[in-house]
Amino acid sequence: MKVLGVYSIKGGVGKTSSTVNLAYLAAASGYRTLVWDLDPQGAASYLFRVRPKVKGGGMALLRGKRALDELIKGTDFELLDLLPSDFSYRNMDILLEAANKAPQRQLQRLLKSVIGDYDYVLFDCPPSISLMSESIFRTADALLVPLIPSSLSARTLEQLLAFLNKQDGFGALRVLPFFSMVDTKRALHTDTIDRLRADRPEILAARIPLAAEVERMGLRRMPLPAYAPSHAASGAYRALWDEVAGSL
Amino acid sequence: MTPSAKDYELPPTGDLDPEQQMDSVVAAIRNHLHCAAEPATATRRRFFDSFDWSLYLAGAALEEVTASERHELLWQDLADNAAVLARQAVDGEPGLVTGLPPGAVRERLAPVLGVRRLLPVVTLVGKHRVLRVLNEDEKTVVRILLERVRVLADGPLGDVVLPLRLRLLGVRGYLRELGRTERWLSKRLAMAPAHAPLFLSALAAAGRRPGSYSSKLNYRLDPGKRAEAATRTILLGLLDTLEANIDGTRRNLDPEFLHDLRVATRRTRSALGQIKGVLPQAIVDDFKTGFAWLQQVTGPVRDLDVYLLDFPRLKTSLPASLRDDLEPLKDWLLAHYEAEQRTLAGALGSERFAALLRDWRAFLEAPLRDGAHGAAQDAATPIKAVADKRIRRMFKRVRQEGRAITDASPPEDLHELRKSCKKLRYLMEFFQSLYPADDIKGMIKQIKVLLDNLGGFQDLAVQAEHLRETAAAMQGEGTATLDTLLSMGALIGQMLEQQEQARRDFARIFAGFDTDENATLFDRLFGADKRQPAAACA
Repeated sequence: MKVLGVYSIKGGVGKTSSTVNLAYLAAASGYRTLVWDLDPQGAASYLFRVRPKVKGGGMALLRGKRALDELIKGTDFELLDLLPSDFSYRNMDILLEAANKAPQRQLQRLLKSVIGDYDYVLFDCPPSISLMSESIFRTADALLVPLIPSSLSARTLEQLLAFLNKQDGFGALRVLPFFSMVDTKRALHTDTIDRLRADRPEILAARIPLAAEVERMGLRRMPLPAYAPSHAASGAYRALWDEVAGSL
Repeated sequence: MTPSAKDYELPPTGDLDPEQQMDSVVAAIRNHLHCAAEPATATRRRFFDSFDWSLYLAGAALEEVTASERHELLWQDLADNAAVLARQAVDGEPGLVTGLPPGAVRERLAPVLGVRRLLPVVTLVGKHRVLRVLNEDEKTVVRILLERVRVLADGPLGDVVLPLRLRLLGVRGYLRELGRTERWLSKRLAMAPAHAPLFLSALAAAGRRPGSYSSKLNYRLDPGKRAEAATRTILLGLLDTLEANIDGTRRNLDPEFLHDLRVATRRTRSALGQIKGVLPQAIVDDFKTGFAWLQQVTGPVRDLDVYLLDFPRLKTSLPASLRDDLEPLKDWLLAHYEAEQRTLAGALGSERFAALLRDWRAFLEAPLRDGAHGAAQDAATPIKAVADKRIRRMFKRVRQEGRAITDASPPEDLHELRKSCKKLRYLMEFFQSLYPADDIKGMIKQIKVLLDNLGGFQDLAVQAEHLRETAAAMQGEGTATLDTLLSMGALIGQMLEQQEQARRDFARIFAGFDTDENATLFDRLFGADKRQPAAACA
């Protein structure tokens, strides 16, 4: 089982659409896949038409009153399941602190119960650096980091890498940044991409374009490649998935 | 957990043809349940397995689905009513694992299939429709799959049309909706639970029995049975195995056909030589010659198979800087393979081979005649007595030969011991049903440990010599550079080193076999030798 966190300190960079579309592509290529919606906004749950509600909230989950297995919902797509969000996740750091002595290891502990059920697990992470983020970093094999091609995004990537370098135990964690919401008509975007890729060759080659069709996912309530498989953005997500799967 | 799928059959209705029946069921469901119906799809489905049913025995089924825009493989879990665990798009005929593109199915298939080839075991054509039951968020909460299927069969009765099937697939986390749907369907439709997943129903309809081939020796012998009759049973089983593998060997479908054919031949020769005094000696001598010829003509391709299968390991055993230099050896092996395979196919297509098998079967199936002229002395002896005697004697021989080996013994002595061990192993395997299962299995396991050591010693010596001869041939043909010859030399060096290690390990491994405990167990299982009790010798 490979665990991927789709993560950024910044909000509004395309985390949820990337999580949903990549998970769909993983399942469509034949792998049993689970999306764990950790963002209290519950956008990934909404896109899969699943109510963002966990019985007993995050506390019941962390205290083991609700087995992970009982809370998972099948999506409309074969081999693709979802662990829905819950509004209580907004207080996840407090819940983690309260639940156990090793709060950073809680997600890892919970996931153990579904090892063998899935080939891939994708976390849709809330934007922040928090105790929950640390728990995600300890659990994931790789972090997929969407970057809008701008200086600010580059700065947040530097912040993340600096944070990971300072901590112990993240040595094996792969960080896979990729460009998201790219507008090729804007010189600022293309120049930034050229500059950042020259500095950081680990940034993946696939680029997710800024496209109205991606935004329409909220209306269609399904992954983009499911309703617009031949759209350029679907092709970009496919290229991204191939690159991610190949690098793991 | 995702709820297990449930299969139902809907018996044909007199007034509707199958197409109309499917349409009427779809209409009934759509009238009552809020659902989305996907268009009917014509499909051709084939299930695959290896010749020895390795997938089925591992609890899996592999389905190939071909529809208008879809060609994919599905890996199904038979323990969970054929739940799909992995799928993968493909673009060609499924065959060897190495021919499949990387993907979810290949990852599951590789450890189960090994070097065997996927062969189609049953083909189905038909139509299917998927109805998705939706909740108020238009979310799929239950799937209903309707399947109209014709099983293509070569038998005299021709194709078989299966009753319309309804497969109810729950969505994880929506059990209440599943229960409601199932209750409604059961009330409204004349449907009955299907007895087996589609794969197994289709196999039964096509007259195929999964797991019907195995190269394992699994005879059920009656201890009081006349020795000649029991021996014929063993030999007929081996002949069936041998014959089952001829076609695959001739067509070179995968290396295991030839391997199983050769093992059946070797076992036949061993039975002829070791079950003494039971079959008429003239017959034994005649067929021993015939099967020795078969073993000899099948040898060269097997040797090449062994090299080619082992090539990746041999290559990686070399230092990285020498690995690429070994590639011309693989090219040479492949270049010679085709000619050797042609010679082998020719031998298996020859009148000599056909006559050998024909005459052998005729002899084995001929009626037994009490006191017939030329009958061997133990023909009518109970098989248990013959088995006890033969195993006892061979055990004694193995022990004597093994004890005589010292650090100064020549390799030939170890080779002789290996031959005796093989004979002992085959005898115990032929007759294992005559003895308590746990005891005999334990003894066979021990002899296998000894054989692995002796085999390692002998095979490595043969391989090293063969590699040296190949290097000389390649040099003569000008197909090997100096670097290639040097990399082959490095391999030979490794083999000889491993051989020496096997030689050093022998004394310890033989001592583990030649124990008082084993001797006592042998006495108990096969009876003590009247002149020299086994335990007393140890």
